[in-house]
Amino acid sequence: MSTSLTEERIRQIINEEMKDYGVRKRAPPSASDDDHGDDHHYGHHGNGWGPHDWEHGAPHNSWAPIIMSFGITIFLFGFASTFVMNDDLNDTVFNGNYLPIVLVGFAVIISGLLVWWRQDMSFDGHFEPKSAGAPFQNIDIRKVGMWIFLMSEMMVFSSLFTTYIRYRMGTESCQAILDNHATYSNGLPFSPGDACWVPASYFIAGSHSESWTLVLFPDTLVPGAINTFALIVSSFTVVLALKTANRTDLDHEERSRKIRNYLGATLILATLFLVLKLIEWFVGFNIGPFYAPSLLDDGYTIHNEMYHFAGAGHGGEYIDVNLRLSAATFYVATGTHGAHVFGGIIGLVYMTYKAHKGGYSPTNAVSIEYFGIYWHFVDLVWVLVFPAFYLY
Amino acid sequence: MKVNVKILAITALLVASLMLAPSLQARSGGINNVDSGCTCHSGSPSSDVSPFMTLGNGSALPSEYNPGETYTFSFGFTGGPGSEFIAERQNTGGFNLVATSGTLTILDDSTQMIAGQLTHTTTGNDQMNWSVDWTAPSSGSANFQLTVNSVDGDASPGDGDHWAQSQFVMGAPGGVGETTTSSADGITVLFSAILLVSLMLLISVAYVFYRANPESFSWSAFAPWISEWLTSTDHKKVGTLYFVAGLFYFLVGGVIALMIRIQLSVPGNDFLTQDQYNQFFTLHGTVMIFLAAMPLINGFANWIVPLQIGARDLAFPRINAMAFWLNPAGSILILCGVFSGTGADVGWTGYQPITSWVSSHPGTTFWLAGQLMLVASSTLAGINFITTICAMRTPSMGWMQMPLFTWSVFVSVMCLFISIPAFGIGLIEAFLDRTIATAFFNTSAGGDPLLWSHLFWYFGHPEVYVVIIPAFGIVSEVLATSSRRSIFGYKSMVYAMAGIGFVSFIVYGHHMLTSGMAPWLRFVMMLTTMAVAVPTGIKIFNWLATMHGGSLVYRTHTLWSLGFLVTFTLGGISGMFFPSIAMDIHLHETYFVVAHFHYVLVGGTVFGLFAAIYYWYPKMTGKMMDERLGLLHFLIAFISYNGLFWPMHKLGLMGMTRRHHTYFIQANEYSDVVGTLPPEVASWNSFITINAFIFGLSTLIMVTNMVMTLVKGKKAPADPWGGWSFEWLVSSPPPTPSFDDLPTLIDVNEEHGSEKKENWLTRLMVPNDPDEEGMN
Repeated sequence: MSTSLTEERIRQIINEEMKDYGVRKRAPPSASDDDHGDDHHYGHHGNGWGPHDWEHGAPHNSWAPIIMSFGITIFLFGFASTFVMNDDLNDTVFNGNYLPIVLVGFAVIISGLLVWWRQDMSFDGHFEPKSAGAPFQNIDIRKVGMWIFLMSEMMVFSSLFTTYIRYRMGTESCQAILDNHATYSNGLPFSPGDACWVPASYFIAGSHSESWTLVLFPDTLVPGAINTFALIVSSFTVVLALKTANRTDLDHEERSRKIRNYLGATLILATLFLVLKLIEWFVGFNIGPFYAPSLLDDGYTIHNEMYHFAGAGHGGEYIDVNLRLSAATFYVATGTHGAHVFGGIIGLVYMTYKAHKGGYSPTNAVSIEYFGIYWHFVDLVWVLVFPAFYLY
Repeated sequence: MKVNVKILAITALLVASLMLAPSLQARSGGINNVDSGCTCHSGSPSSDVSPFMTLGNGSALPSEYNPGETYTFSFGFTGGPGSEFIAERQNTGGFNLVATSGTLTILDDSTQMIAGQLTHTTTGNDQMNWSVDWTAPSSGSANFQLTVNSVDGDASPGDGDHWAQSQFVMGAPGGVGETTTSSADGITVLFSAILLVSLMLLISVAYVFYRANPESFSWSAFAPWISEWLTSTDHKKVGTLYFVAGLFYFLVGGVIALMIRIQLSVPGNDFLTQDQYNQFFTLHGTVMIFLAAMPLINGFANWIVPLQIGARDLAFPRINAMAFWLNPAGSILILCGVFSGTGADVGWTGYQPITSWVSSHPGTTFWLAGQLMLVASSTLAGINFITTICAMRTPSMGWMQMPLFTWSVFVSVMCLFISIPAFGIGLIEAFLDRTIATAFFNTSAGGDPLLWSHLFWYFGHPEVYVVIIPAFGIVSEVLATSSRRSIFGYKSMVYAMAGIGFVSFIVYGHHMLTSGMAPWLRFVMMLTTMAVAVPTGIKIFNWLATMHGGSLVYRTHTLWSLGFLVTFTLGGISGMFFPSIAMDIHLHETYFVVAHFHYVLVGGTVFGLFAAIYYWYPKMTGKMMDERLGLLHFLIAFISYNGLFWPMHKLGLMGMTRRHHTYFIQANEYSDVVGTLPPEVASWNSFITINAFIFGLSTLIMVTNMVMTLVKGKKAPADPWGGWSFEWLVSSPPPTPSFDDLPTLIDVNEEHGSEKKENWLTRLMVPNDPDEEGMN
């Protein structure tokens, strides 16, 4: 430690330097500042509802956070009161009295979101701070934030895969037990209602049902396959939207129209993904030569404790299995991915609307890029979820 | 100094009187090798057992009693395994009878009274019905709660045994004196009081606003003022909100802790019911960790980090506000079950399968949902702080020139950010188990409770470092400033913190050494856990070396930091007992564990936060705090703190278990009844309770200090303590935005910041050419 620098000396140096750099030493705002009436009180903070004046950067006041937070509270309270597990832990008791609370909570969340969007609508790229220090020098701060957010998302899906791997590896497969004539690999007999693993691919990619022979495409992998392509194509349309937004050779109107179309296409593909997923889970197909029962019709549900498992290659032999664990793992893991797609759809609705209003230009085209990063991630996760849950 | 001597004398007197305080007389006897007539025979009540209760002659209970008359009751059960005839069977059943009023008198040796409740003796274990005398009270209806066990006679509680519970009522005579007011549940009353306090807090906030400028007060001026607080995204305002919310829940958690201590002050106590006790220790843990410690840390991080790195605000101010508001919103869910007497009762760890089981309270579902919101809050805060620290340092500040508090926040937020999604997914799985009945932790459907433990502790262990590492940063700042020199070994401090952060992810298994985890994994976890002591030791020695090479000024925050050094080191040493597998199996679930983690969480985190409050309060409010009150607070709190937690080590070694509603002691040193503790346990517990109250009340000194100085304190200069980092450059309190032009770091830290740049890590982190750096 160099002892020549005393505390006083250092403070003196700092103060001299700071004078040059113009650090403001301003008195705190006193109560009397508030007496100018009307909106002046807010200064450049803007009021909590209206569009922001983005010229100045932070901070801006906003009602959105408090509204959305308490909306989530109401929603979760209602949800936990509406659906309650029964005493045997194998079914849900539905309590419709609390359903309005769920809807109110949802409405409050949406209204908070609308406030948030209303404030963002005016963002035209004027205030886009760049990262100052290593290792992200000169990269937009929002972009850094998005990548860091994806770090957390990676952990979310890692945890889901941990659950999946633990149960997939640690639970004996029903097919193996059936092959062994209702005996576990350790020689103990399998009794009806015992838990064993039935992968979703058994229903989706397999041919366990007699109805298969009738159809043109003999399995329900079709929606899964369409979904995969829908997501990949939607990643491409987002990139096209970004590319278009950066074009300076088009006039604003033409460009806005194109951006809207590309974002709209992404939105439609994302919606197609979710709709097909819900059909695959709950509705099933029965259109002309396409016939396939939904997973629900097949009995692949989180409450099914006695599934009649006939497997493959054993004629009339069967075992009654508890497939609740396999089903829960499948629905929650793919459902979490679906929730991310749903989040993307909510964002896309806003972005398509903003594009429609002419809100994007080369100055703020990066906003589309940030959404694109998230969307590629969701796409990538599907590429992992699909083989693990649909094919294998 | 004269005053200090006086304070010392008073404190010494207090301590002496504590030492001499007579130990309370403990109850003799206790559970004498009998079942307590509880639900310990199986998980849920069984419908094939039907309890009955009649008068001695077999007629039904009268609907009204005669005051003062003595009735003989005959009660017992029919059905269940106990009623099946098996030759020479020994055990058939047991019971527990609670009467809300009147007096129960034992008739024969088949029954006995324990803690005001009637239960069977070993002899009574062989019967299916029993009798007792009851003397009616003078007024009010009498309620009887009868719990019966119908057992299968295999002498071990378990699957073959069934139980059931019934309520019987006898009304007051002629409706006269009938008190229909059902007395409210204690816990409900407490939390209603908390609700009331929040309301009063709101009113006092309005009053403070009124007092600030009484002449010009009008509601039209108040509305924008309050909406400014509700909508602000300014990092300083959000920081203050975090701070106020954190202190509020610190109070809530503290009151809960004191309730627990009253319950444990004497053996066989009945101040809280077992049910309430379960809720109390669950909420104490949850509230203190998630709603008090983390918001307080976030409050300081919000306030100080942007100032220390020369940023105008955090990277995402609105997301920052969102992260805050999720906290109070989530706390409503966490506590809401309590208002109906059905709060979460599963411990803050929420171990499975109890959390996904029907026997835990309905409030557990809300508790899970509330924690899910806190997970969202932490994730949003994490994005914000990591981005801010990575991207918004003033252009002249490299990584190795960041103040240590900022470094500590960075490391702790990184730990939290990477680990908390695992907890979030575990919570979602448990929440879905409890609502739509998925089967993740349902053992009968093949679920694995240990998966929860892994997901939880993968988060839970980094979490305890998340709350301690910012305290390291605070102590580093405070000790360096108070020693009037730079910190000794800045780089080793950074690497030590980063090392602790990294290791925190691979040590979590030491929480599960007794859970049946794979033996080889236990061994690995033992070694990694012991490795944590190395970076922690480096930090301790660096602090000592800082003080050794400096010239220490004793201010309140210095004292708290010194106190931190002592208590945290003690806590660290007791922590080294647990990684050793054999020791851990012995000490698991005893008060030794409670002592350890309170030594690191209170003696570490809370002492660090107290130091931070005294250190940065002038910066945050522009008012100096009273040093004399600060000294008083420190002396009383430090002494009572050690009196509170040190004896717990001893209790743990004597075999006192944690999370137990009560305990029983031996009648004398020669009796050796199984399950009872040596007689001195009772006096130690009373001693602990007294100290707990002193420690809890001493915090009020600090709150008084804060409120009083806020109203009429001395104005604080920009840099009252001689600190070197950027937050001391701006006025107290700082303007908004804090910096018009970003400050430039000049090389005052040359002795540790930019000495040699040969090694690759330094080259990576410190930009060589300032011209290359991005400018706003």
